[in-house]
Amino acid sequence: MSGYILPPEPMTNEAVAERLTNAAVSRIQNGLIKKQNLIYLELNGCSGNIISLLNGQNPDFEYMVNSMVNLRYSNSLMASEGEQAMEKLLAASQDEYILAVEGAVALRDNGLYNVIGTLNGKPLTGLEAVTMLGQKASRILAVGACATHGGVSAAKPNPSESVGLQRVLPEKEIIKLPGCPVNPDWFLGTLAHLLLYGVPETDNLGRPLMFYSTLIHDRCPRRPFFDKGIFAEKLGDKTCLFKLGCRGPVTRIDCPTRQWNGHVNWPIGANTPCIGCTQFGFPDAMAPFITYDTTRVVKDE
Amino acid sequence: MSKQKIIINPLTRISGFMEVDVTVEKNNVVDVKTKGNMFRGFEQMLVGRSPFDAVYFTQRICGICSAAHSMASSLALEDALGIEAVEQGRYLRDIIHCCEFLQNHIRHTYQYTVPDFVKIEQNPLFQSDHDDFRIPKTASDRISKHYFESLTISRLAHQMLAVLGGKAPHNHGVFIGGVTTQVNADIVVKLASILKQVTQFIEQKMIPDVYEIAAYYPEYYRLGGGYGNLLTFGAFDQYKELGTLYVDPLVSMSRGVEPFDETKIKEKIDYSWYRSTDEEYKPDETMPEPDRGKKTSYSWVKAPRYDGKPMEVGPLARLILSNEYTNGISAMDRTLARALEAQKIAGIMKTLLGQVVPGVDVQKKYTLPNEAEGRGLTDTTRGALGHWLKIKGKKLSFYQIITPSTWDFSTKDDQGYRGIAEEALMGTPIQNVDQPAEVGRILRSFDPCMSCATHVFVPGKKVKTIQVF
Repeated sequence: MSGYILPPEPMTNEAVAERLTNAAVSRIQNGLIKKQNLIYLELNGCSGNIISLLNGQNPDFEYMVNSMVNLRYSNSLMASEGEQAMEKLLAASQDEYILAVEGAVALRDNGLYNVIGTLNGKPLTGLEAVTMLGQKASRILAVGACATHGGVSAAKPNPSESVGLQRVLPEKEIIKLPGCPVNPDWFLGTLAHLLLYGVPETDNLGRPLMFYSTLIHDRCPRRPFFDKGIFAEKLGDKTCLFKLGCRGPVTRIDCPTRQWNGHVNWPIGANTPCIGCTQFGFPDAMAPFITYDTTRVVKDE
Repeated sequence: MSKQKIIINPLTRISGFMEVDVTVEKNNVVDVKTKGNMFRGFEQMLVGRSPFDAVYFTQRICGICSAAHSMASSLALEDALGIEAVEQGRYLRDIIHCCEFLQNHIRHTYQYTVPDFVKIEQNPLFQSDHDDFRIPKTASDRISKHYFESLTISRLAHQMLAVLGGKAPHNHGVFIGGVTTQVNADIVVKLASILKQVTQFIEQKMIPDVYEIAAYYPEYYRLGGGYGNLLTFGAFDQYKELGTLYVDPLVSMSRGVEPFDETKIKEKIDYSWYRSTDEEYKPDETMPEPDRGKKTSYSWVKAPRYDGKPMEVGPLARLILSNEYTNGISAMDRTLARALEAQKIAGIMKTLLGQVVPGVDVQKKYTLPNEAEGRGLTDTTRGALGHWLKIKGKKLSFYQIITPSTWDFSTKDDQGYRGIAEEALMGTPIQNVDQPAEVGRILRSFDPCMSCATHVFVPGKKVKTIQVF
């Protein structure tokens, strides 16, 4: 063997994997990687994103709270209430934390259209909470359509004057996860990326490319019907839903391959059009969701 | 001893934002205000939109009970368009609705209610601050374990919903005429298989767990009662061949049980942040506007009344009105009723699954009338839900929603009646005013949904929607 020059370390797949695992384990043991704190704030919305997160599978919600992060605040799930809940929010804000926000920020009457608690005897508005917490957060995730751009909470004529998170935190880098609701994988996958490798690569609108890069239309299993010009005339049909108003051709998300609720189905699988819920501008820019008369029927000659 | 005021804000482990202000004198509750703390104005947003869009749009009112709104809006549109869903459409749509009941009841029981009574050691976030934990360690540890196990089961309930509805929350499958999906044997057996797991959990864990809790907190059979007026719009009822599988539209007041009459519903806004020419109106009549500065008011929730009376809605009301529960009306009875109803619903879903015929397409190409009115009234997870709509020029010109939590968490009214939950808290003895565990336990027995409860119709400008295609 003396005549050969050996690489410094074995390069087999097994050896590389073992090395990475050992490195990760030792980094955790040495305290170089630590479980980060997560503050999950619900603002003006339907709390459907936290419900969607509970629907996560591999990773699931239990894995998230037990192995990925210390969840320090969640209006839907935390046992503490009232003053004690507010104290926990303040205590969490003293440490380093990732801030995840679902729901829009209501601006009307100085935010009084969305009060999330009472602090020092005064109403704490969603607007105040997110302005305060957003300044100090190590990372900010806008979860779901209402947080990314106002969503349904800001639908015309927007009675609560709701806006997306970026409008009240204009200087901050915000990772945006639009969707109504967010698919649990989009949130948990982005969170995993933050913990393991830092900020994921995003498009110019702040959406992680790992989920939001490709048009639904480009991967739709019903695309062959589109290409052949075979179109559904009503919901329930098994062909291309384009003429009923399907927003697949303009919507960038991985629904066709990932699907929902343990990968069992998705809106087009239910014979209904995509309503573009991951697009900025949803819902107004995507309305009407369903139309039976988008195109003229051409009779056979 | 003078009066003391307790403010709990936020009341966590509910959907949406709620505050409760309680006045205590000699350790007894002498005054209560429940306050809805968020407002978005869905009815106003719906004006000018395509009527078809109401089905998907109104689901965004609530993340935990979105299918309920797809049910009520579909029923309202069927009424307006003069369409009657065929039985196969009804069966499949109601199966979707069953899945939501199961998901909601399991999550409300374990994630929202259990931490009030059981110390969950596994994670500090799920530990309550009070120290009134009475269940012995072995049982307490078992229920804590089920807290986490239940997450898998409620997830499966939503998975069943998605199999027929496309996704959950905010499904696409429920629509005018029933559903958009057709089943085959593969789907039926998949649902049957998942349903069996869910049913086993309910029967072997969830129901024993709530009885275990009840055994150690027996005073809650005497707390949280209230007026005792009950209302249901009917649930899984009046099938052509199957008859009523659960409960018909009924009310119970001091004069006894009688059929529900929708003309007796009125809504009041004397103490809510809205203004209008009338402080009282029928659901399809009037259009109050939001007014956060209204001096007498304290909540975004309005005050619906039936024959002038506040009415309790929800699982306990349904079980009593269907003669399946006779123990009484209290906070603990409500919590037990929710678990027992989950079992009932699982049974109904099994029956409905046995009725579905493969490959039936119930969808049609629908056309909109120029002018029409419709209403969809149905019981959902938390109780009676109503959507009232009007169409003009093929667009929505009016939308009114009265949700179950609007009934249970209404404000007081001009006749001196309190809201159902407010009245339920009156007279409650508070052991320790610094840790008033009683208040949250009683309020959560109603399963409050403030995302749903706070809505209004406002006359607005016609909304111009953008046509992409």
